[in-house]
Amino acid sequence: MRFITTTSIFLALSSAFLLYGLNYDTRQLEARVAQEELAVAKARSDIAVLKAERAYLTRPERIEPLARAQGLAAATDKQFARDIPMIVGSVSK
Amino acid sequence: MRRQPAKPRATAAVDEVGLRLRAIAVTGAVSLAFLAVGAQLVRLAAVNSGVILQSNISEPVAQSFSRPDLVDRNGRLFATDVENPSLFADPAVIIDRDEVVEKLTKILPELNGRDLRRDLSDRSKRFVWIKRQIAPQLAQRIHDLGLPGLAFRTELKRAYPLARLAGHVLGAVNVDNRGVSGMERYLDDSASVEAVHGATLSERAPVRLSLDVGVQHSLVEELQDATKRYKAESATGVVMDVNTGEVLASASLPEPDPRLGSAADTQQTDRITGGTYELGSIFKVLTVAQSLDAGLSTLDTIYDVRQPLVEGRFTIKDLHPLGRPASVRDIFLHSSNVGAAMIALKSGGEQQKAFLGKLGLLDQGRTQAGPIAMPQVPKRWERIEQITIAYGHGLAVAPLQFAAAAAALVNGGELVKPTFLRGHGDGAKTRVVSAETSRQIGDLMRLNVTDPAGTGKRADVPGYRVGGKTGTAEMAAAGGYAKKSVISSFVAAFPMEKPQYVVMVMIFKPQGTDETRNEITAGHNAAPTAGRIIARVAPLLGVMPEPVQAASGATQATIATPN
Repeated sequence: MRFITTTSIFLALSSAFLLYGLNYDTRQLEARVAQEELAVAKARSDIAVLKAERAYLTRPERIEPLARAQGLAAATDKQFARDIPMIVGSVSK
Repeated sequence: MRRQPAKPRATAAVDEVGLRLRAIAVTGAVSLAFLAVGAQLVRLAAVNSGVILQSNISEPVAQSFSRPDLVDRNGRLFATDVENPSLFADPAVIIDRDEVVEKLTKILPELNGRDLRRDLSDRSKRFVWIKRQIAPQLAQRIHDLGLPGLAFRTELKRAYPLARLAGHVLGAVNVDNRGVSGMERYLDDSASVEAVHGATLSERAPVRLSLDVGVQHSLVEELQDATKRYKAESATGVVMDVNTGEVLASASLPEPDPRLGSAADTQQTDRITGGTYELGSIFKVLTVAQSLDAGLSTLDTIYDVRQPLVEGRFTIKDLHPLGRPASVRDIFLHSSNVGAAMIALKSGGEQQKAFLGKLGLLDQGRTQAGPIAMPQVPKRWERIEQITIAYGHGLAVAPLQFAAAAAALVNGGELVKPTFLRGHGDGAKTRVVSAETSRQIGDLMRLNVTDPAGTGKRADVPGYRVGGKTGTAEMAAAGGYAKKSVISSFVAAFPMEKPQYVVMVMIFKPQGTDETRNEITAGHNAAPTAGRIIARVAPLLGVMPEPVQAASGATQATIATPN
């Protein structure tokens, strides 16, 4: 009888502690999830801004003068050889 | 002292030991429990820094709309949503109204102090927008004022990193992030815009337009250059894929700024889709195509164009009369009005009307960005209408519709529908002219550029096999036509052995300059502009330039030299 009482008291106490701990762990996890979600939202927002900024920096209006300053230009017929043998021939000479 | 307990008191001593043990056990258990509670308190205080509280701040309920990105055909960004702070006030919490008004108007000078004071005086309200979508730096300054009753809410704001580029096609959104025009409106109509609380960015895949950022930029630059060069009022242009009807670039100067939101909507009309014009001689492409396709003429059929054509009170003359009977080919190359009229008269009004109807030039067209301007079709279709429509007067159509019709004539003869979305141009095609007619029209257009007598010779780009037709239309003015005000246009296609792209350029009210030898005809302004556009966009579109013929003997020699 006495054994049963002690065991059940022990069990009741330990399960109370267990539940108590579990409860707090869960809350902590919830808090962490909320935190992560916030971080994700922040990252997404940052990505959106960075995407827009990248598009702004690569806008043709800005790139064109830079490219021209490097001596780049649209391709014309002059950059193309008529056929391959001509090139091969001139190289092998 | 009690180490030697007396024997008779042995049982009492045992009891005492039991009691002690119990007392120790209870004390231990209790202090353990307190220790656990204490440890938990320390843990809560140290680890959790108020994160749980944070999510409980209640946000005022307001709807916003999250939109998918708009990107060009290669995935380059046209429009995207970014989060932006919006300032609101809770009048019930504000302590010193005058201070708030004074300090806010200093940071945001565009605010009206009197309106603001009135809005804030109603203490029964708990939520008043002060200014939506303000720059983050300004928001920080307002936050730093530390005034109670002011707070921010992040909202979605549409960003257009390329500024005005393709402004007409993109359209605009209002302050709630809903589309009001152009492709932004299409996003709303196609249900890819979601109502969200707060600022939730859209997770939908970006919508891929048919436009190409590089081509659009080149087109805009060349058109701007043309307006300056020819002292014109404005210029427009469109580049279209002849097989799918996909619009790669479409510009009508000046382009509106989508960042202005709804205000940009009415600012400048898009002449490509929103205006109809009598396009002039470029219509002769249609007149000739119809006659060839119906088998009424061949390229060598001769028409007597020596005399002006008199019809009722009208006399149709040529600017530079040929003075000899001319073949259909010559009529096309010299752009003879009399000749075009005779070709049209031979086929008759019914057939002419049916042909134009088949090309979709008599009905209102539609793109995803909205309806195209309704063509202005004459009420009666008598002989005089037949004659004038043959050379592009009397029937006004939107340039985009004409470009699509021209695409159909050169792509092998199948009708295309203009579209602003990539990959939307496939599907069942209706044949409008035979493949043979299409080839002949292509050859005529190419000849018009290569022939020294052709009106389009200034549009040639070495290597890219350009073909095209010029048109100089007098602008309709009060009581007739204004001689000095013209719309000069050029419709071109390339590469001509198997056309892939149509380029159409219109220059409004060009003036004669030294460069054009004081001419205002399309051959001197629109044609070279089209040429410059093609020279820039053809490499972007991956059209291979054909090297200008080298002496074939040299090639043979190099093949023989190896080893």
